[in-house]
Amino acid sequence: MSFLEYQVKTVPTGIRKLFYLNWGLVLVLIAVASMGFLMLYSIAGGSMEPWAEPQIKRFAVGLLVMLVIAFIPIWFIRNMAGVAYGLSMLLLLAVEFFGQVGKGAQRWLEVGPIVIQPSELMKVALVMMLAAYYDWLDPKKVSRPLWVLLPVLLIVSPTVLVLMQPNLGTSLMLLMGGAAVMFAAGVSFWYFAVVIGLGVGAVAGVFMTRGTPWQFLHDYQYTRIDTFLDPTSDPLGAGYNIIQAQIALGSGGWSGKGFMQGTQSRLNFLPEKHTDFIFTTLAEEFGFVGAFSLLLLYGLIIFFCFAAALQNKDRFSQLLLIGIGCTFFFYLAVNLSMVMGMAPVVGVPLPFLSYGGSATLVLMLAFGAVQSAIVHRPR
Amino acid sequence: MTRIPLRPLARILSARARGENPDTIERENIRLRQKQTHDRARARAQGRLLLLGVAFTMAFTSIGARMGMMAATMPTEPRNASSGAQIEAQRADLTDRNGRILATNILTHSLYAQPKDMVDPARVAHELVGIFPDLDEKQLLARFTDGRSFLWIKKKLSPEQMQQVHDIGDPGLLFGPREMRLYPNGRLAAHVLGGTSFGAEGVNSAEVIGTAGIEKALDARLRDPANAGKPVALSLDLTVQATVQEVLEGGMKMMQAKGAAAVLLDIRTGEVLSLVSLPDFDPNDRPQPMVKGDPADSPLFNRAVQGVYELGSTFKIFAAAQALDLGLVNPETMIDADAPMIWGKFKIKEFENHNYGPLLSVRNMIVKSSNVGAARLALMIGGVRQQAFLKSLGFFDPTPVELIEAPYAKPLVPSRWPDITTITTAYGHGISASPMHLAAAYATIANGGTLVRPTLLKSDVVENGPRIISPKTSQEAVAMLRGVVTEGTASLGDVPGYSVAGKTGTADKPKKGGGYYHDKVVNTFACTFPSTNPKYVLILTLDEPMEIVGSQVRRTAGWTAVPVAAEVIRRVAPLLGLRPEVETASATEVTLASN
Repeated sequence: MSFLEYQVKTVPTGIRKLFYLNWGLVLVLIAVASMGFLMLYSIAGGSMEPWAEPQIKRFAVGLLVMLVIAFIPIWFIRNMAGVAYGLSMLLLLAVEFFGQVGKGAQRWLEVGPIVIQPSELMKVALVMMLAAYYDWLDPKKVSRPLWVLLPVLLIVSPTVLVLMQPNLGTSLMLLMGGAAVMFAAGVSFWYFAVVIGLGVGAVAGVFMTRGTPWQFLHDYQYTRIDTFLDPTSDPLGAGYNIIQAQIALGSGGWSGKGFMQGTQSRLNFLPEKHTDFIFTTLAEEFGFVGAFSLLLLYGLIIFFCFAAALQNKDRFSQLLLIGIGCTFFFYLAVNLSMVMGMAPVVGVPLPFLSYGGSATLVLMLAFGAVQSAIVHRPR
Repeated sequence: MTRIPLRPLARILSARARGENPDTIERENIRLRQKQTHDRARARAQGRLLLLGVAFTMAFTSIGARMGMMAATMPTEPRNASSGAQIEAQRADLTDRNGRILATNILTHSLYAQPKDMVDPARVAHELVGIFPDLDEKQLLARFTDGRSFLWIKKKLSPEQMQQVHDIGDPGLLFGPREMRLYPNGRLAAHVLGGTSFGAEGVNSAEVIGTAGIEKALDARLRDPANAGKPVALSLDLTVQATVQEVLEGGMKMMQAKGAAAVLLDIRTGEVLSLVSLPDFDPNDRPQPMVKGDPADSPLFNRAVQGVYELGSTFKIFAAAQALDLGLVNPETMIDADAPMIWGKFKIKEFENHNYGPLLSVRNMIVKSSNVGAARLALMIGGVRQQAFLKSLGFFDPTPVELIEAPYAKPLVPSRWPDITTITTAYGHGISASPMHLAAAYATIANGGTLVRPTLLKSDVVENGPRIISPKTSQEAVAMLRGVVTEGTASLGDVPGYSVAGKTGTADKPKKGGGYYHDKVVNTFACTFPSTNPKYVLILTLDEPMEIVGSQVRRTAGWTAVPVAAEVIRRVAPLLGLRPEVETASATEVTLASN
């Protein structure tokens, strides 16, 4: 279908689009990000430097980006999906060859003054690409093997590239986000059952080959899995992160120790306290009440996405909304489970709270597309 | 597949009738069909979305529940020492019979290095040598830099040394907790306790295993975790042990002996109250076994248990006791002691070529220590009965004391037993046994005639062994031994109030190639006290002693071992709770002081 099929006449134009934005979603996003600013301020010992201020600036830029994208018609975004996907793939390949190495992984690409993380971009680009693909594809063909193979390739190729960096967390995000779009597009349950079966087999294979020269994962990745299974086995080594985080969570209790009163994070017990493990600081200082409020706000964001998807008659918009909602959910679910010791420690930031430019900007990009889908929905 | 016909004829016909273009109808049909499939796809997507929503809600709920759970619990901080703490106090303590500590454990630290974490190996090596002068700086540095990832530096550190090493502040130097065995009394009872060393060594703990003495003999019992915290009480009395050791050390020096041993036995229970062997060592720093020379000269050698000597005339009482018990003689029976006695090609002589004549009572045979008399008695008994008697007294087997060395100290007994062996055995030559053997045999003779099994473990129950001789014989034998002290060879052994009864023994030391030295002797005094109601047996031996009075060198036990034993008894008897008994002097011994 081309954009001509959109009932353009019913779509608001010009500045009037502002009234059709989902302002509730914008408010919730600002609320979540503000919690992040508070935490970064607290972790720095009551100082805007070095984390809170850059994060606020980035978020402000992100907000602007979101509004700009919200004004771009959704059909244009759809038509650009292939370009975005191709560009992201190119960047991923570039990072493979020219990328910066940090913490044993090649993740960043320096383009002039901007340092970008193509794997983050790919999360949105992949969802866009798959949504556009299923929009184009005749719904009758959705479950035919050849037409399933194509999106699988679209998902697997960036996943493999990201896995090679290596970045287990993001590759998992890509895999799950892509699978969610395929699931929502109506691909037969059987495919998912087979893939899950194969996945279980692969996990078994990964563990069978452990210790042999052809083992699949890095030693540190195996260690992460081991430590997940029993974090207490190595309380001062690999399990340190998890146990200290759990102590912070537990010591927060119901109402927390109070703003800027957390000891676990302030006394440097916690590694990565301003990035992946920022939730522990929140839980320590604001307790269960604060942590649960954050969970509710996150739930609200996903609810907004899904509700908009239910209302939207356009297939691309619908799949895009579901895909972004799911990706967002996977972000926070994996991060929270990992911090609370329910899942292996993989490097996944907590959306809008963790310090970091790429993730925030890409998320705001994604929510810009969400707003565009809401504004330009067929009425 | 059923297909909807592209041109429903009815509609086209009706359109024609109305004059409309049928193509628009077709387009309309296609649009409608597409709308239908898309609506279906949308409905499907919405269904899937609902499924996702349900799954996400469940995930949110579980995350929220987990948050609540974690907020409600108070996790504990992991502790570093938890893995090392479990070995503490695993080896049971050893105490004396009154509960005073003989061996216990203290927590110390070992020092090891992980050179890969070391910041500045050269500085570390230099500073370590400053703390431990016995280390070699060059060698240490070489070992730090040869690529190994682990090495021990010291097995035990004092707290001060540990602090000093800590102050070096290098992350490559690490401490591991471990228990070490401590003998707070130093050299006291060293031969009983033996010693320990480290077995399997880990970074967080080290196994302490017994290497000698009772530590090794009872190793399994001491290490059994089920007995952790339950000390083992030994039969030794720390005070008595210290006294005996002190007196014996002095005596050994005075008599210029190269070694000495003493065993003090409670004759009712067989408990060893004191066991001293000199020279001794400090079990806290057990010396290495000697590489060359006679191992019997090593301080590690337990003369009281491991050393087997010809114990000489102390054996004569066994011949006398057996003859009495068999009813062959009574103490006043006269026997032929005409010396020298010729037996085949052998000539049996008395000490210093005395001749006690053809009429010597059995009692005087003991008092004067007549070799010939003892030989005659033994011949009356006969070799077979003599062997059986000595065997029943334990002279043919190792002693049962709880020392790892005891089973290896087998007495040397002649393999054949012709009459000449019967004769020499009667006065203690040709048969070698340890002082511990002798103590057990004397205890058996003195305690009324039941077998005594010596033990190093405290036992309050008096268990009478099988009867060896009758109580009457026992009484008569002790009376004869008393005579040795009052009027015989051991007159220096009389301790007023404690009526010592005993027998001396002087044996020439055998030469390596055969024959005997004439200037090297082993002197033994075996005694029991108080003779009126024997309670204890003391065996005291001196190795190569001599007492020089003017130009005269005396090497007989009466001049060397006996006075030392008397001093021991004088000091120890009050500690054992014996009350001195004032003996009424007989009228014949009273001499008038006037005129």
